[in-house]
Amino acid sequence: MKQTLILFMQDEPGVLNRIASLVRRRNFNIDSIVAGRTEKNGITRMTLVVNEPNKAKRKTIYNNLKKLVDVYDVVDASDENCHIREHALVKVSIKPDDLKEIEDLVARGNCRVLDHEPESMILELSGNEVTVEKSIGFLKKFKILELLRSGKMAMISGNQKKNKPVLVKSEPK
Amino acid sequence: MSKVRLTGAEIIWECLIREGVNVVFGYPGGAILPTYDALGKYSDKVHHVLTRHEQGATHMADGYARSSGKVGVAMATSGPGAANMVTGLATAMMDSIPIVCITGQVPRPAIGSDAFQEMDISGAVIPVTKHSYLVMEIENLARTIKEAFAIARSGRPGPVLVDIPKDLQAEEFDFIYPEEPILLPGENPVINDIDLNSLEQAASLISESKRPVILAGHGILLSGASKEVIELSEKGNIPSSWTLLGSGAVPASHHLNMGMMGMHGEFAANNAIQKADLLIACGMRFDDRVTGNTKSYSLESKKIHIEIDPSEINKNVPVDVAIVGDLKSILTKLIPLLKKQQNSSWTDKIEDWRKESQSRDIINMNTEMLYGAQVISDIWKETNGDAIVVSDVGQHQMLEAQYYKHDEPNTLLTSGGLGTMGFSLPAAIGASFYSRDKDIWVIVGDGSIQMTITELATAVQENANIKIAIINNGYLGMVRQWQQLFYDSRYSETPISSPDYVKLSEAYGMKGFRVKSRTEISDTMKEAQNIKGPVLIEFVVEQHDMVYPMVAAGADLDEMISRPVHEQFKDAEM
Repeated sequence: MKQTLILFMQDEPGVLNRIASLVRRRNFNIDSIVAGRTEKNGITRMTLVVNEPNKAKRKTIYNNLKKLVDVYDVVDASDENCHIREHALVKVSIKPDDLKEIEDLVARGNCRVLDHEPESMILELSGNEVTVEKSIGFLKKFKILELLRSGKMAMISGNQKKNKPVLVKSEPK
Repeated sequence: MSKVRLTGAEIIWECLIREGVNVVFGYPGGAILPTYDALGKYSDKVHHVLTRHEQGATHMADGYARSSGKVGVAMATSGPGAANMVTGLATAMMDSIPIVCITGQVPRPAIGSDAFQEMDISGAVIPVTKHSYLVMEIENLARTIKEAFAIARSGRPGPVLVDIPKDLQAEEFDFIYPEEPILLPGENPVINDIDLNSLEQAASLISESKRPVILAGHGILLSGASKEVIELSEKGNIPSSWTLLGSGAVPASHHLNMGMMGMHGEFAANNAIQKADLLIACGMRFDDRVTGNTKSYSLESKKIHIEIDPSEINKNVPVDVAIVGDLKSILTKLIPLLKKQQNSSWTDKIEDWRKESQSRDIINMNTEMLYGAQVISDIWKETNGDAIVVSDVGQHQMLEAQYYKHDEPNTLLTSGGLGTMGFSLPAAIGASFYSRDKDIWVIVGDGSIQMTITELATAVQENANIKIAIINNGYLGMVRQWQQLFYDSRYSETPISSPDYVKLSEAYGMKGFRVKSRTEISDTMKEAQNIKGPVLIEFVVEQHDMVYPMVAAGADLDEMISRPVHEQFKDAEM
């Protein structure tokens, strides 16, 4: 099972570099990394999905990330009721006969036509890992010219205190 | 307080002085010129030591920090100057030593243009520091330096680098020192209570154990918890063993101290650990030199891990109870929960193991050539075991650990985690600025000393009161040992030549001696100790010596290789 960690970091130049450097030198097996802004100014939020079956090693990864000076807090979303969403852009090579099948896929939801050129089409997929994988699997029957996957974003359901990050600065002891 | 118009360079010195810095080890250069120019105004408050290499500067800051418990400071220019600090930063990082390195950087408009002597040092040192900074606005300079010191000395100590562009050093600013406390995202809000549940679990494990062992690590010295660990040991009649960096935490002469553990540790210590039913790990991290094969490490024991850095828990060895926090505070709460115990059948067994290995010891043997172990044992006697010893890396380092019995904390300074050759000479110079009225002895091999030998000039320049004992066996000894044991004695690139150390000392302006036999040691040492300032003694020792016992890499901790019977010499009358 994969470990899903949500990191909250100070928006300083090079902070992503520090995470990447830590991941590499501790040999963490990373599945995906997605980072971006949040509702709070100056705080970057990152979803890190790690492939680590050993429970003790997962705690070590969690503690190593927390140790970084620029990281406010890390929330382990692995065992929580958590939504994990992915985004993908797919450029397929299409012939006029294919259009009906594409329309069916769009009708099933989680797929949008972004762009329609005579010989190619760009589709936007979103959903959880399973639905995105399925849609990509379906699209393989057409020639996939380009595929871009975003990595996983996670958000825990509800408003429980234990899943809230501590976003205050404190004095070093 | 009112604002004062100062340059960035002056602000740097103001901040260093407010952090209690009174000595800085450094080397000037183009990008740090403004800061060196401003030094003149502060030279009555801060003494600057000009080194001969920036690596030397970082090891000096490190040795100063190990000896004093304060944050050591090193300073250098951009590019190659900064690059030369990386080894020293990595050395401090691995051993959790608080140092702050200040480097000049090319002017801000030039950053990223491959300017002369430009290097992204704050990026390059990310893996080997607790944190690093590139200051881009003068309003942030003072707070950044204050933060750097706070990070260096807090929690698990470590090195921090601050990179400051040249034009920022020259810029003027209305300066007022930031008195507000430093607040950082990475710190947790204060959790005063140590987990009571873990304390109780630990206490009950200790009370139930019949074969307990205390593993004494560097954390005891960093936390100042020697007294508490000795109390724990005596109350529960629990034998202790130390990691290399834990030397002196519990006095070597303490009746329950079994000696060093690990790859070249004592027979009794390693056996005890493997047969224990409880290990109490105090401020140590189960390093591979200490555990041997982790799959067979102390399988019959429960383990309590008292540690300030949560990321060390279960990293190498799974433990049963983890108590995260400051060692001294934790032991102060734990000890009252324990009752007095005897465990005498356990301690008797350990005594038998100790007697067995002592009888085979080389220092009690008559040998034709001088042996490194004998040199160190005699240095220990001649200094009354009361010197601060700075050892380098290799066979001599292990022999020092085995034969110089340290009874006080912070009296062995050595590069344990990174094992950096060349550490000892500069580290000793650094330590000499805070030596607490003790003699400082450098114990170094002929390979190691040649790595940073240029700092002999610094030692003479500062008249550093250090005595340098070179254990010269003409080889990279520890590597040669491994080649003998594991590579069919193919001594590939391990024989190494040396200059005439006596002539070299004199060329540098200091006194040098050469000792070839055991009978010369005492008089030579007395003469050396009477000279105030740096002195070098070259001890010519047996070339093909081996350090025993040894646990081969990846072997089980109790699979110790001993000195072969045919190599054991006739008993001497001592």
